[in-house]
Amino acid sequence: MDFDFSPILDNWRFLVQGLLITIELSVATIVAATLVGIALGLGRVYGPGWLRVPLTFYVDSMRAIPVLVVLVWTFFAFPLVTGVTLPPFWAALAALTLHISAFVSEILRAGLNSIRPGQVRAARALGMSGAQIVRKILFPQAVVRMLPAYGSLLSVTIKDTAIASVIAVPELMRQSETIAAQNYAPIEVFTTAMLAYFLILFPVTRAVEAFYRRVAHLGRS
Amino acid sequence: MESTVTGRKNGDQPPVVQYDGVVKRFGSLTVLNGVSARVNKGEVVCLIGPSGSGKSTLLRCTNALEIADGGRVVFEGQPLPKTEAELRHVRRRMGMVFQNFELFPHMTALENVAVGPITILGADPAEARAKAQALLEKVGLGAKGGNHPSALSGGQQQRVAIARALAMDPDVMLFDEPTSALDPETIGEVLNVMKRLAEEGMTMVVVTHEMSFARRVANWILVFDEGRVIEEGPPAQIFDAPTHARTQSFLSHLGWNG
Repeated sequence: MDFDFSPILDNWRFLVQGLLITIELSVATIVAATLVGIALGLGRVYGPGWLRVPLTFYVDSMRAIPVLVVLVWTFFAFPLVTGVTLPPFWAALAALTLHISAFVSEILRAGLNSIRPGQVRAARALGMSGAQIVRKILFPQAVVRMLPAYGSLLSVTIKDTAIASVIAVPELMRQSETIAAQNYAPIEVFTTAMLAYFLILFPVTRAVEAFYRRVAHLGRS
Repeated sequence: MESTVTGRKNGDQPPVVQYDGVVKRFGSLTVLNGVSARVNKGEVVCLIGPSGSGKSTLLRCTNALEIADGGRVVFEGQPLPKTEAELRHVRRRMGMVFQNFELFPHMTALENVAVGPITILGADPAEARAKAQALLEKVGLGAKGGNHPSALSGGQQQRVAIARALAMDPDVMLFDEPTSALDPETIGEVLNVMKRLAEEGMTMVVVTHEMSFARRVANWILVFDEGRVIEEGPPAQIFDAPTHARTQSFLSHLGWNG
């Protein structure tokens, strides 16, 4: 079997554009999903009862529905229901954020609930209010404790951006498909794409792990 | 300052803490079954008795970490208020030290001591940190301010916890078995800090199994059994001539020979 990597060399700008969009979509999703997820998680653990029920329903739904379905619905069905059409990039960002934020909220909830009650007792004994206890005592510890799971979620998020190719977001996977089809070089192009994903993800997961090892003691009460 | 009226230190003055028939239930279990007692200014009152007899629960009712179901707790002449917001103001005037230290692991020793005044009292951070440093020196840990709790021994953590409570300038210190989770060799350093506090005139309520500490430092002993105070008196009386059979058996189980 002969391999011909010239389509990749000839189209490297096109592929790098895709890679940059993958990175943009990943970073935007991570930032948005983290913020929304923190709000969801805090709402579920400390919010009033009437808020917890719908938030729990939302999180359970997002965990039950494939992200691909959410994405396709956001892009094709949402405009018909609301009359608002989202450009592909924004539809992908919205769908991924809806999905990933549910997992962020679950991780945060687990982190908050894992802190032993004595910490709250100590903070209350000092005279702190509920909001001060969450802000100063529980949230910082929960963030440290959630790092390993959050690191895995970061990888999942970056990988999941590849499904944005189905709504024609010109990210790495979409660009690879185009080049592969034009040149009939699926082995060469998709292997290159695999390698590119790996080269982004491997350092990210390693970095989170190394960071966690350095700060783990800050979450151990 | 021994008062001849009651035989208790500052017994002629209004008590700092007074318990009037305090009742506490957890479900069908009655943990405190009508406890009445007083803690005078500058007194060290030790609560002793078997595990599960209600000592720690009474301590938690003092600063309303647990709310009494019956009777009342009076602090500096005022019954404990009902609302959480008002209770927070009362808690600021009571320091509490826990069996498991409960230092905040994400903060350095110095930050642990300064966080109360800064967060709760709105103290100037630089002043609060200077005061925290002075308190760490007072408990013999002046060089450890930059360490996180994970880098401190149990005895050191508990001394930081005492400094954290003192940083709020409390009127009374509540100790909940402060040495029970410690290695034997570090118990002494914590007890010494507590003894020094007592000598400075701090009002202290101490739940403890350290009978020699109670004997040497306490002004008054409350003996608990099954949610009641079965006997109280000065240490000499409790340890040398206990009148209640349960007190005698409790002390002999601990190997106390008078």
